[in-house]
Amino acid sequence: MANVNKESRHLLISEVDHEINPGPLNIQFDSPDLRSKRPFYIEPTNIVNVNNAIQRVSDHASAMNKRIHYYSRLTAPADKALIAPDHVVPGPEECYVYSPLGSAYKLESYTEGYGKNSSLVTIFMIWNTMMGTSILSIPWGIKQAGFTTGMCVITLMGLLTLYCCYRVVKSRTMISSLDTTTWEFPDVCRYYFGSFGQWSSLLFSLVSLIGAMIVYWVLMSNFLFNTGEFIFNFIHHINDTDSVLSTNDSNPVICPSAKSGGHPDNSSMIIFYANDTGVQQFEKWWNKSKTVPFYLIGLLLPLLNFKSPSFFSKFNILGTISVLFLIFLVTLKAVHLGLHLEFHWFTPTEFFVPEIRFQFPQLTGVLTLAYFIHNCIITLLKNNKNQENNVRDLSVAYMLVTLTYLYIGVLVFASFPSPPLSKDCIEQNFLDNFPSSDILSFVARIFLLFQMMTVYPLLGYLARVQLLGHVFGDIYPSIFHVLVLNLIIVGAGVSMACFYPNIGGIIRYSGAACGLAFVFIYPSLIYIISLYQEERLTWPKLIFHIFIIILGLANLIVQFFM
Amino acid sequence: MPNTAMKKKVLLMGKSGSGKTSMRSIIFANYIARDTRRLGATIDVEHSHVRFLGNLVLNLWDCGGQDTFMENYFTSQRDNIFRNVEVLIYVFDVESRELEKDMHYYQSCLEAILQNSPDAKIFCLVHKMDLVQEDQRDLIFKEREEDLRRLSRPLECACFRTSIWDETLYKAWSSIVYQLIPNVQQLEMNLRNFAQIIEADEVLLFERATFLVISHYQCREQRDVHRFEKISNIIKQFKLSCSKLAASFQSMEVRNSNFAAFIDIFTSNTYVMVVMSDPSIPSAATLINIRNARKHFEKLERVDGPKHSLLMR
Repeated sequence: MANVNKESRHLLISEVDHEINPGPLNIQFDSPDLRSKRPFYIEPTNIVNVNNAIQRVSDHASAMNKRIHYYSRLTAPADKALIAPDHVVPGPEECYVYSPLGSAYKLESYTEGYGKNSSLVTIFMIWNTMMGTSILSIPWGIKQAGFTTGMCVITLMGLLTLYCCYRVVKSRTMISSLDTTTWEFPDVCRYYFGSFGQWSSLLFSLVSLIGAMIVYWVLMSNFLFNTGEFIFNFIHHINDTDSVLSTNDSNPVICPSAKSGGHPDNSSMIIFYANDTGVQQFEKWWNKSKTVPFYLIGLLLPLLNFKSPSFFSKFNILGTISVLFLIFLVTLKAVHLGLHLEFHWFTPTEFFVPEIRFQFPQLTGVLTLAYFIHNCIITLLKNNKNQENNVRDLSVAYMLVTLTYLYIGVLVFASFPSPPLSKDCIEQNFLDNFPSSDILSFVARIFLLFQMMTVYPLLGYLARVQLLGHVFGDIYPSIFHVLVLNLIIVGAGVSMACFYPNIGGIIRYSGAACGLAFVFIYPSLIYIISLYQEERLTWPKLIFHIFIIILGLANLIVQFFM
Repeated sequence: MPNTAMKKKVLLMGKSGSGKTSMRSIIFANYIARDTRRLGATIDVEHSHVRFLGNLVLNLWDCGGQDTFMENYFTSQRDNIFRNVEVLIYVFDVESRELEKDMHYYQSCLEAILQNSPDAKIFCLVHKMDLVQEDQRDLIFKEREEDLRRLSRPLECACFRTSIWDETLYKAWSSIVYQLIPNVQQLEMNLRNFAQIIEADEVLLFERATFLVISHYQCREQRDVHRFEKISNIIKQFKLSCSKLAASFQSMEVRNSNFAAFIDIFTSNTYVMVVMSDPSIPSAATLINIRNARKHFEKLERVDGPKHSLLMR
């Protein structure tokens, strides 16, 4: 799930900015408004880089300097009325450090960026934001596409979405007539497509958010159910894996969908030897699809109604820990189970799937959401200290994400014990392949459960801000509006958990839908339009980008035929 | 018999949002304590204690704004507002899309002036010129000036083009102040004599509240044409800092191996700045000269006193 933390990242950045109080006339404060700290004068101690050629500053410039200096004393720092507009101040390459003796030093490196994050931190933040719960569906996706096809598709999708992300980052620079320093990608869409662009980007953003929240609900019900079952079985010393197809092992791998071939949650089919009414009662009240989703309502609905979720953003670190633990778990299991790979190119066998399958679009759908960061990449890259390294850092981050997905996907797929079980058994949530008594996956489920419980209110807040903010103009019109919205979202989650808890399916549908706009269509279309306006549009570029748009459309349409 | 006790007004008028409050803040070194854009119309009546040139009081009015409340108040107070006006400064926003309306409001102000203070001097400022492309500025300003001159008849108006982002604002206001001083030629002649006597390189006479240059004498070409505005901005900024400590600025001496400059209170309404390029002359000598000259110039002001309410102590 790509938008586990990316939306919350966006939230975090803007929240942090509001809290900083800019001091007057100090070049080093972290104000998001670059104009208010134009370096037309700099204290000598802040000179970082000094040229040896000393030049006299012109009279006009020094008069302007004094003027700006004086005007800035007349108003509060937040007042924009007397801040020098762009057309009046010389361009950044003409800015000098002016010392009172009339000599001037030109600053070597003056860039638009004012961020203080090193490349490493930026790369980590991008990786962290992209890593989400869609990682649980990657092995299933590889299974659906075939091993070879799966690996190729993961790499190619990574490259394609990286290129589209690069287009998103560059889209702002094509607009020269306005000050775009505070713009995010939806603002760029609004500039090019008017209010249609604004509303459609809102709609698609909401699709991704609500899709994410539904998947979260399904997963949370799943994890809560398994946790409860583990605790119950642990207390009552029950071993329940005998009835399900599994390997003969101390730490078995199970195939929950073996009997009915399709329904992933059949925990109600677990039959116990002991005729224990207590157990049957428990089983009646603790059911993955019938009761647990409803218990979650009592837990999460109150959390959704909070006005400000900044409390929850403190738990951001749980996401990273969860992913790292998953990597550790997968490595351990792979070492324990060994590799089971056989290559059959086109025909399926009893235990293996062919290398090339025609259901690979299901994998591309999942990957569209797994590589999705396009609506907040601009904000993430803004804080990069060396802006000229933006493209390089972005590429490195995407490469790391691809490697992580490949690692987990390939290891889970390859180490899945195929002689007793068929590769077809790999679940849409690969943790489902471990019984609830497995200790490692129990710990993983607990981590993920807590992490999702803290991110769920953040996602709800983002959905609320975007929807209510645009429709009613106020992000908290009244408790009644907010409650209705939350009930709708929670209701969607609960009904999906009850009737269609296939997270792979939900991820690929919502991924393909919102990816259509933000990943494929908007960046390419904006690039084509801006090139056309500058009359630099060539046939190869046009064809290539139209091809990307067609790919996006095909991605979405084909999801419905699979 | 002139009523010298009654305050004479300088009216600063114009459409809401045309830049009057910023202009006043910059010229008079007033701290703007609020976001001028957010609060909309400025209602600035008796609370403006900004005075200059002796007993002139600056009044700011929004004229022709969208606010009907303001319009009604304005219309009902018309006679009050336009009585006893010495100077009308009308600010036009060069970017305004409603030229007809602007002219209409300007004309109605002129009618009121004709009725209540027919002797008032009228100045029109075409403001925010920095938003116009450089090669078009002269053209657009000439066009507007012609229109305004035509509309103002039988009254005479002087037009300036201004922008707070270059020296034109300061120059325009300096010209306005220059025209308001009755005996300015005599002042200049005396200033020249004074400068030559004390062997100064340059002598400037500033208005006390705004540090607008009233008159100056220089014995040779100076390199920096923007020096007046720069000095004014520097001193105003220094005054702001002083006022934060509840101190008031009185005088300053700046000296290095090349020159010595003295800024001191001169008459009740002016400051003087004397620049000596011969550093061997001791400060005490120059200060004595300034002190003696002060008496002379005060007498000059008092001579014309009863006839004009300007420069009255």
